[in-house]
Amino acid sequence: MEIKNFTITKRDGSKDQFSLDKIMSAIVKAFDSVGEPADLATVSKILSHLDMHDDIKVEDIQNQVEEALMREGFYKVAKSFMLYRQQHTEDRETLQKLQFLSDYVESVNAATGSKFDANANVEHKNIATLIGELPKAGFIRLNRRLLTDRIKKMYGKELANEYLDMLAHHFIYKNDETSLANYCASITMYPWLIGGTIAIGGNSTAPTNLKSFAGGFVNMVFMVSSMLSGACATPEFLMYMNYFIGKEYGKDYWQHPDKQADLSLKQRTIDKIITDYFEQIVYSLNQPTGARNYQAVFWNVAYYDKYYFESIFGEFYFPDGSKPDWDGLSWLQKRFMKWFNQERTKTLLTFPVETMALLVDENGECKDKEWGDFTAEMYSEGHSFFTYMSDNADSLSSCCRLRNEITDNGFSYTLGAGGVSTGSKSVLTINLNRCIQYAVNHKKDYLEYLGSVIDLCHKVQLAYNENLKELQDHGMLPLFDAGYINISRQYLTIGINGLVEAAEFMGLKITPNDEYKKFVQGVLGLIEKYNRQYRTKDVMFNCEMIPAENVGVKHAKWDREDGYFVPRDCYNSYFYVVEDDSLSVIDKFKLHGTPYIEHLTGGSALHMNLDEHLSKEQYLHLLKVAAKEGCNYFTFNIPNTVCNECGHIDKRYLKECPHCHSKNVDYMTRIIGYLKRVSNFSQARQEEAARRYYAHAE
Amino acid sequence: MLKYVNTGVVFQEIPDEVTLAINISNCPCHCPGCHSHYLWEDIGLPLDTDAIDAFVAKYGTDITCLSFMGGDADPVGVNQLAQYIHEEYPQFKVAWYSGRLRIPYTVNKADFDYVKVGPYIKHLGGLKSTTTNQRLYKQMDNGQFEDITYRFWRQQSLAV
Repeated sequence: MEIKNFTITKRDGSKDQFSLDKIMSAIVKAFDSVGEPADLATVSKILSHLDMHDDIKVEDIQNQVEEALMREGFYKVAKSFMLYRQQHTEDRETLQKLQFLSDYVESVNAATGSKFDANANVEHKNIATLIGELPKAGFIRLNRRLLTDRIKKMYGKELANEYLDMLAHHFIYKNDETSLANYCASITMYPWLIGGTIAIGGNSTAPTNLKSFAGGFVNMVFMVSSMLSGACATPEFLMYMNYFIGKEYGKDYWQHPDKQADLSLKQRTIDKIITDYFEQIVYSLNQPTGARNYQAVFWNVAYYDKYYFESIFGEFYFPDGSKPDWDGLSWLQKRFMKWFNQERTKTLLTFPVETMALLVDENGECKDKEWGDFTAEMYSEGHSFFTYMSDNADSLSSCCRLRNEITDNGFSYTLGAGGVSTGSKSVLTINLNRCIQYAVNHKKDYLEYLGSVIDLCHKVQLAYNENLKELQDHGMLPLFDAGYINISRQYLTIGINGLVEAAEFMGLKITPNDEYKKFVQGVLGLIEKYNRQYRTKDVMFNCEMIPAENVGVKHAKWDREDGYFVPRDCYNSYFYVVEDDSLSVIDKFKLHGTPYIEHLTGGSALHMNLDEHLSKEQYLHLLKVAAKEGCNYFTFNIPNTVCNECGHIDKRYLKECPHCHSKNVDYMTRIIGYLKRVSNFSQARQEEAARRYYAHAE
Repeated sequence: MLKYVNTGVVFQEIPDEVTLAINISNCPCHCPGCHSHYLWEDIGLPLDTDAIDAFVAKYGTDITCLSFMGGDADPVGVNQLAQYIHEEYPQFKVAWYSGRLRIPYTVNKADFDYVKVGPYIKHLGGLKSTTTNQRLYKQMDNGQFEDITYRFWRQQSLAV
């Protein structure tokens, strides 16, 4: 080995002067540790095997030392040297964790501090959220290993490597890799109604009255959510509650809610008792949860018009043989919405995420006029919720964006209503902007190239599915076994991100125009083609525009670093550009209308950002516009103002607190599906929120 | 000849309607503190019946009302277009945001469903200010015009 004046590359990427002394002393230490003599001749011999060059990495030098020791027959010394290296690797990992810990403690909020998978549902950072953060890196490694082992078995090593390569180069992104559980589910509560929580590992028997319903429901949702990585929807919540209220106060309780129903000194009315239960359930479920890294459970509920109700629960029977009562439920749904809207002026309540299901006729009019009117009324009173509209009750959305094709409206005495059960087992997202740019830059047909990426995603998802089945075979998934989740009604989801950015790269204008429409249909139609191709009687695929709370920011950053065209710091999760002020409200409905969303079988929600509330008549008209354009899933998003000084909450978007006149105000908005304080989102997302265009009237 | 610079779908200008606002240039009012300075020049595209047809073709029933924002240099021109809309497209309401103190006698008010009058006077504020000099009138079923300016003030305290 020739000694030259050159540099080496350290682990953190920095350069240092090469030092022969350091290598020699490491070798001597290794000899000493096993009690073997290390004379100069021996050490020189080992050094002579080393092949040094400028900027060589420390790891490479150490690998060469290991080999040289073995070549010279010093196996014990080599082993000791390796152990020493391993110990240092572990020390370094601990050191990294320490560094992360101190960074996290100092960060502005939990979402910004989170290194992996930031989530705005963590309200504050504290020791519990920190405990949740620390093992995330380990989970990612474990999940990748589980998946690639399975891919190797099913499709060979080459595909497994291709998957890792695509992940490493950010062509695709595996969502929720920091959790072991399957993603999200809209559950049927019927197994709980007849058997309590025993089948899923709890100790409570079936609810028998309003009190045990309310208490048991909260526990049940906590249990179910701890076995999911994403949302838990309970589309039957109010229907069951109506049943138990009826059992307690008579089926016609809603006709005399002011009647006294309490012998205590408080003399509570039926209405007061009901809203007290609302309070108990909603406040309990908005609490941070130990089993979920101190996040609240992502609880979703659904409201129905009369037609949806009949379609989904028409065949339903309660254990006592009675049928659900529409009149009572209709009253209770309205009562809950009014109560929740009012309660949100007192406290920042994120959950439940609510979806209103409305059936419309061919002219875009709500078939159930009473519920169409009520929907517009609630929007005009400043309530924030999603609306799902369809001209056929064959699909439903009961989760913050998941669309469910109802193939089974039947009722079973073990599983309850078939129509409410759905969910997504796992989401694997394609970074469309990078994929399309890569193909075009390499003179490939982008659809053909995309086809190969989509194909890989389907295989990876099938491998995931096999792993899930294995977990189930070993009794690890009681939600499936007990019938809360119907595995055959669960989708494997192909997510998309960077669609608008890819279209901009192709030189298209992001307005309702034929070229853009053709581009969207080409890309999404291709995904749907593969979804159908890979569908069997056991597995179903769907495609969803992911909300990308943090993926949108990551993709933009990575793509920019690698020299791709990146027009904004956070990729859109809509078909339009959020900061574009030239698009009208009507344009946005058009861009989320039938031609654009028809292949998004897993759904996407239009968040119509407005800076002021509209009147009931205006909302009614916009419901019609949405129906006409075929925009089936949307919400109106008007930032609510929260005063940081006096705590006053106002439904309007204000610069100054109307109560104490402080200008130190924060806003509640839906950045992804959840209504949260803007300051709880990660730094990058907050910046995106500030750039958003809220359509206003000037 | 009337010209317009741009259009926008708006909600606050006309209560309970989804309105296509047509921003007309060459405004003679020149109110001090005007928010739409860019409309003072004689610029933009011709605003004639062809332009109206194009708006209707584009928006169809997605809107409920068309509103002329300005046009005080040619009130009769605005009136003719309002008449045209009511004759050809009776499904739409027609509104006019004028900066004048009153509608000139050469204009047939009955051709409008909504009329806003009054220049912008800074210290009195716009329609949302309770001290405003501006007024929005709505034509009622009996043909009388009713002052509905209060609708802009009620928004200030959202009923919850």
